Amino acid sequence: MIYLDNGATSFPKPEPVRRAVSAAMACCGNPGRGGYPAAMEAVGRIYGCREAAAELFDCRPEQVVLTSSCTHGLNMAIQTLVKPGDRVVISGFEHNAVTRPLHGLGVQIAVAGRRLFDPEDTLTQWEDALRRGADAAVFTHVSNVFGYILPVEEMAELCRVYEVPFVVDAAQSAGSLPVSLGQWGADFIAAPGHKGLLGPMGTGLLLCNRLPKPLLAGGTGSESQNQEMPDFLPDRGEPGTPNVAGIAGLAAGIGLVRRMGLSRIANREHWEAKRCAEGLKKLGFPVFSGEYQGGTVSFIPRMDCEEAAGILGKHGIAVRAGLHCAPLAHESAGTLKTGTVRISFGPEATPEQSWAFLQAARHLL
Amino acid sequence: MKFCFITFRSVTFAQNGQRSLKRVGIDTILRRTPKGLEQRGCGYCLQLKETVALEAVDQLRREGIEFSKLYRFRENGSGEEWPV
Repeated sequence: MIYLDNGATSFPKPEPVRRAVSAAMACCGNPGRGGYPAAMEAVGRIYGCREAAAELFDCRPEQVVLTSSCTHGLNMAIQTLVKPGDRVVISGFEHNAVTRPLHGLGVQIAVAGRRLFDPEDTLTQWEDALRRGADAAVFTHVSNVFGYILPVEEMAELCRVYEVPFVVDAAQSAGSLPVSLGQWGADFIAAPGHKGLLGPMGTGLLLCNRLPKPLLAGGTGSESQNQEMPDFLPDRGEPGTPNVAGIAGLAAGIGLVRRMGLSRIANREHWEAKRCAEGLKKLGFPVFSGEYQGGTVSFIPRMDCEEAAGILGKHGIAVRAGLHCAPLAHESAGTLKTGTVRISFGPEATPEQSWAFLQAARHLL
Repeated sequence: MKFCFITFRSVTFAQNGQRSLKRVGIDTILRRTPKGLEQRGCGYCLQLKETVALEAVDQLRREGIEFSKLYRFRENGSGEEWPV
């Protein structure tokens, strides 16, 4: 199988990640609870993950709250910054992990910037929306459907200028593009552990520049006589026994990403996505591509997109079709009715993968 | 040998402290804080030689690493807070 669904999760997990998971399951007790060697082993592995993430994302280890997913982190961040009735500015390419929590809180959502691969338009619309007043802003770094790389540094700067607290969804960028809590000044940045960071599913990160509102309350192994959740990071956001094996695997994944280098990963993904986009255009498919694009490309087949993904699957190509849990992004691109077929590359992207995909795509003609 | 404990509110703070002290050549042992020293229930501390305790405290302060208290233990096992 040629796996081109890295936007959903990295697969298969690299051998060092699998080894780290297995080793942690063999030798780790419950961290933060006991002082015996197996518990301390777990404590060390978790801190190793925090340290690796802190170096990659330009923050301190305690600012890294370990979550079960990017969605978990986004919910924590949104619940912290937003209250019912607030006006919240979001980009036109947000995932349901952003829009559903906002909808659930009953906020006024202002969508700003809906043109694909047009950062100038994104910034103009973004500033206009912020100028009208906002209680918070949430925006994705990279569209999970179209691979559009939003001008996140400038969007962050505008939020700071208009003094609007903000959250960045780094679901599709963590592990392939620079993400900096320190430089961006975001209140929160959420990332999955299992996509670009190559860790196991069930892991994620919330990078915090302020104390989050806990979604759950419970034991943290600290200040046990205090019946309030601790008022310090990362404990405030981490009640209950953590996913030690997953976190150990995530640490290994982050280590691999750092060794490979972000620019090398980004280049590989970008060029293979571009190669596929050009090939698909030659085959006559409507393709969404542009200058500011990562390793993800969407196209519209001449049949139902799920049927097309099924045909590609039969020819050994794993892709995702439909709305990709991002109806807002499809609405922005005008593909809400049809959906798209999405191909998304990972750090090991090769020209051979692209050629195999384009060969299989001929079966859609 | 006399030794000291530097206590922390969380294991992560203690680990930050351990890393920081290691960088300046101070070896420590990360361990659970003895119940008798812990006022809020459950915590971690760094055990280190008394001879380097004040240097360690200075280093933690320089790097902005939050700690709770410093305790000094005598050879007979009795201990006391060392105000710093």
